[in-house]
Amino acid sequence: MKQILALAIKDLRLLLRDKAGFFFTFFFPLLIAVFFGTIFSGSGGGDGGISILVVDEDQTEESQAFIQTLTEADELTVRPVARAEAEDMVRRGQAVAYVMITEGFGEARQHVFWGEPPRIELGVDPARRAEAGMLQGILTKYAVQGFQRTFTDRSRMQGSVRDALSAVETAPDMGGEQRHNLRRFLGELDIFLENTPAADPGGEDRGFQGFEPLRIEKKDVVVQRVGPTNSFAVSFPQGMIWGILGCAAAFGISLVTERRRGTLVRLRMAPLSRFQILAGKAGACFLTTVGLSVGLFMIGCLVFGVAPHSYFLLGLAIVSSCLAFVGIMMLLSVLGKTEQSAAGIGWAVLLVMAMLGGGMIPLFIMPAWMRTVSHVSPIKWSMLALEGAIWRQFSLAEMLLPCGILVLVGVVLFAVGVRLFRWSVAG
Amino acid sequence: MIVMENLRKTYGPIVAVDDFSLEIRRGEVFGLLGPNGAGKTTLVHLAVGLLEPDHGRVEIHGLGPPTDPAVRARIGVAPQALALYEDLTGEENLAFFGNIQGLFGRDLPPRVGWSLDFVGLNDRRRDKVKTYSGGMKRRLNLAVALVHDPEIILLDEPTVGVDPQSRNAIFERIEALRVEGRTIIYTTHYMEEAQRLCDRVGIMDHGRLLAMDSVKGLLAAHGGHSVVVAETAGVEIRLDTDDPLAELTRLQREHELLRFTVESPNLEGVFLNLTGRRLRD
Repeated sequence: MKQILALAIKDLRLLLRDKAGFFFTFFFPLLIAVFFGTIFSGSGGGDGGISILVVDEDQTEESQAFIQTLTEADELTVRPVARAEAEDMVRRGQAVAYVMITEGFGEARQHVFWGEPPRIELGVDPARRAEAGMLQGILTKYAVQGFQRTFTDRSRMQGSVRDALSAVETAPDMGGEQRHNLRRFLGELDIFLENTPAADPGGEDRGFQGFEPLRIEKKDVVVQRVGPTNSFAVSFPQGMIWGILGCAAAFGISLVTERRRGTLVRLRMAPLSRFQILAGKAGACFLTTVGLSVGLFMIGCLVFGVAPHSYFLLGLAIVSSCLAFVGIMMLLSVLGKTEQSAAGIGWAVLLVMAMLGGGMIPLFIMPAWMRTVSHVSPIKWSMLALEGAIWRQFSLAEMLLPCGILVLVGVVLFAVGVRLFRWSVAG
Repeated sequence: MIVMENLRKTYGPIVAVDDFSLEIRRGEVFGLLGPNGAGKTTLVHLAVGLLEPDHGRVEIHGLGPPTDPAVRARIGVAPQALALYEDLTGEENLAFFGNIQGLFGRDLPPRVGWSLDFVGLNDRRRDKVKTYSGGMKRRLNLAVALVHDPEIILLDEPTVGVDPQSRNAIFERIEALRVEGRTIIYTTHYMEEAQRLCDRVGIMDHGRLLAMDSVKGLLAAHGGHSVVVAETAGVEIRLDTDDPLAELTRLQREHELLRFTVESPNLEGVFLNLTGRRLRD
């Protein structure tokens, strides 16, 4: 056991003395965690919304009120400009889109019950269609919100109905029958609003509740169960996974380096079995990955407010993830004959695992068949275990599946790696 | 005694060692001489248990084969490649290799200190190996082989790429080990090293043992005659002889000698006579 420990300490010492390796093993995963955590929290020093340009060609109270609504929206950063400047900036790719409030917007907003609807022009950068699509949804939301405010406030609605009644009488472009129908409809509506008592949610007759087409109550399932305290609770497991991946690759390559340099010959001359020598390497890899994961989590915990749902389950997730990647390391070390080929093959395998397992692109935006394929990637199970312990609020029983799979992967791949391992002492 | 009997080792179609038998006595320095690719490294790896023979057996001091970890612990190896961790210091390398040989606690520092002293690297003990010169790395490579105080030491081409000063230092250390009575297996393709250090020399080529004896014995059996080259007034005389002194005396009587040289037989000549080619071809 002492010899295995000596082997592990030697590898750790070598890792710490390799400055580039140390950076990529310890700081790169931290950068990933902080970078993505910052992006998704919207606190990256920016505004956290889509930047748009606004051109007001209507210059009415209605258009200014609408611009004010957009300016106050969390999802948007609004900059008023002239039309020519707006078109030029979008064309140059300096803005996602411009929103032009065309002449007649204010008047159309007042004629809710007849005539043309209010219009805005959305000029988009064709290269950023995804953001333009989101923007269209956001604009519709705030346009509808304006109407909704009117129709859920009895006095405002009543005022609006009475204004419309007056306008119907003087509208020059309205036919006799339409005028008659509208006069009748608005008149009845006015009576209805007049006679309906004020809203009383607790009463038998609940009174005027307004005309709300749809009330969406947004509930994030994980938030309901506590959920991620912030975006770093999501990004730090990702950073931990990338750290573990980096360690597995580094240790796999180091075994190839030992073979090339001849130090394996010396190790083999020691009164140790092959299993003991490889267990020493595996032990160093395991200690490093566990230390790295714990270190990253501590930073996440102390600096970024990441709090685990259960420390015990987090320990279980870390240990099982690290065991899986120790096995993967062992297998990678036998795939390449030189450091270059080992690094190439190793990273190719690990990156494919990361792609399939949701380490790069979140699983939920992958097609269904890809989500099925992702079951073969240990990264998927590792992410699930870490997230389960940090914010998904998994119970011990729920943790058993991902952790069990990870331990099994580790044991099987380690055994295969040991079996395929060659000293390569050619004469 | 190291006994090798009918050893054979192949790598695919290549026969690296073929029907090789040899006994190396306890306390002797045994040299294996042969050109690159002769099979020396394969043979010594078989001798110390780093390789398993396809056929034949090896036994160390009557204790069993060197593949047995307990037997292997009695052997120290200085491989041809510098098998050192360059980012560790000399002392850390020795301590680590001492550890894996089972040296811990109070037993370790004296052995590390002795090894550093033995190869003259005590003043550089805390420097990283990557800052050492080639000669210093070679000496540390030797020290690592000695840290666990082995009875049998394998030195595989220990002077490759070393400057003359470091080479001399290594020779002196090997001679000191011989005085201590350790068994040394020494592979080289430098005949002058074998001549200086080895009690017996085996000459290998194409995986086979061509001849084995003391240096004197090999020279007598396969070295050919000495050559006396004498210059008289305008004439150079070359004579093959077993008794150069008698021949020179005769020439002195018959001619007026201006100058003369005597070319003694050497292992290069032995190899040439045995194989028809030079050692470094």
